[in-house]
Amino acid sequence: MNIKKEKITIIIAAAIIGIIASLLVVFGNPTNMGFCIACFLRDTSGALGLHKAEPVQYIRPEIIGLVLGSFAMALWKKEFSVKGGSAPVTRFILGAFAMIGCLMFLGCPFRTVLRLAGGDLNAIWGLIGFALGIGVGILFLNKGYSLKRTYKQVAAEGFVFPIIQVVLLILVIAAPSIIMFTPEGGGPGAKHAAIIISLIAGLIVGALAQRTRLCMVGGIRDFILFRESKLLIGFVVVFASALICNLILTGVGVGTLFNLGFEGQPVAHTDALWNALGMILAGFACTLLGGCPLRQLVLSGEGNTDSVITVYGLMVGAAFAHNFKLASSADGPTLNGKIAVVIGLVVVAAIAVANTMGKSKEQ
Amino acid sequence: MNQYITTFYSHFGAIRYKKLCDQYGCTAKVMPVPRSLSSSCGTCVGYTGEEHIIDEKYLDEIEQIVMVVSDGYEIIYSSEDE
Repeated sequence: MNIKKEKITIIIAAAIIGIIASLLVVFGNPTNMGFCIACFLRDTSGALGLHKAEPVQYIRPEIIGLVLGSFAMALWKKEFSVKGGSAPVTRFILGAFAMIGCLMFLGCPFRTVLRLAGGDLNAIWGLIGFALGIGVGILFLNKGYSLKRTYKQVAAEGFVFPIIQVVLLILVIAAPSIIMFTPEGGGPGAKHAAIIISLIAGLIVGALAQRTRLCMVGGIRDFILFRESKLLIGFVVVFASALICNLILTGVGVGTLFNLGFEGQPVAHTDALWNALGMILAGFACTLLGGCPLRQLVLSGEGNTDSVITVYGLMVGAAFAHNFKLASSADGPTLNGKIAVVIGLVVVAAIAVANTMGKSKEQ
Repeated sequence: MNQYITTFYSHFGAIRYKKLCDQYGCTAKVMPVPRSLSSSCGTCVGYTGEEHIIDEKYLDEIEQIVMVVSDGYEIIYSSEDE
């Protein structure tokens, strides 16, 4: 497949993803949250009792679909390859702090784009912070940062995470009393599309993301490093298609899916500095991880067990974020959250330095 | 002359290899791994030369070396086979 064909494929896929994200809000997801990997993993953590924040507890079928969609596509295209062993503990920590950064901002890179498409101008600060964080990460990549190589693992290892997704699907359908769901009207966790719709949306987006390697970190990283715009175009097209869809749906009276401004935005706050700092942390950590939270889910489906560990890191980070009151709310960031983001920046920088040291001299 | 693509476990590995290619007098370019070659999204080096370039010193950073052929890629070296 040549570059032009790859670009056309990614444009079509991203346009479909943007439309799906917009429609998921119509079907019941919170506004500007057709997809949010950070929020959805956080909701799933809550449903499993890893945190007790009642407003954000629900096993999100979109996550299940993303993993299984990628898994099925990778199997079909013979790209399912089970590998891992590249600094899993470090990846877990990076995942946890990436999540703390996302929950300071209230969204992952994917939701940053969707918030902008819904007219939430606070996301501009998040986007600037995210790009800055990636820029800092790239400085380390160029100086020799590496978490070392992955190794081939037994096939069964790669099937574990997809099987866990099937178990989660059974749990969300069966809804046994041990699983915690936000009660009706109790918060964002109670706002969701029907299970089958969420699942199908996740499956489609997971499959498309696997084929196109769509990655919010990769888009900015590749553009800075190589002036390669392919993945960045995907980013822009998701924004454009969700924006157009939001405007049309708002225009025909389906709901208010576009509301331009800073104030009164859904599941968002107006603190520019901490919106930016949260996403600097997320961008920095994700660059060191090699991909955004969406990409980690997709790679998990392809058999990358390092990404599975990263997803667990993201989930545990979400649990800490709510147990220790680090996550922001519509009222703004918390003091605990600000301290955690600063600690996160220090820890991620220390990881970057520790895994870079001495490499430049080898050059 | 043949066209080769070498993929790596780290971005820095690609930068070092590019310098090695320069030393061999090959025209080399650091770039994202083509989708048609891999589903992973790392960095690779594409270069033109009579032979592929491999050096013991850089071996632990190289994932694979392929030669571009008319219907795709022919694997010359893969770390998974070692």
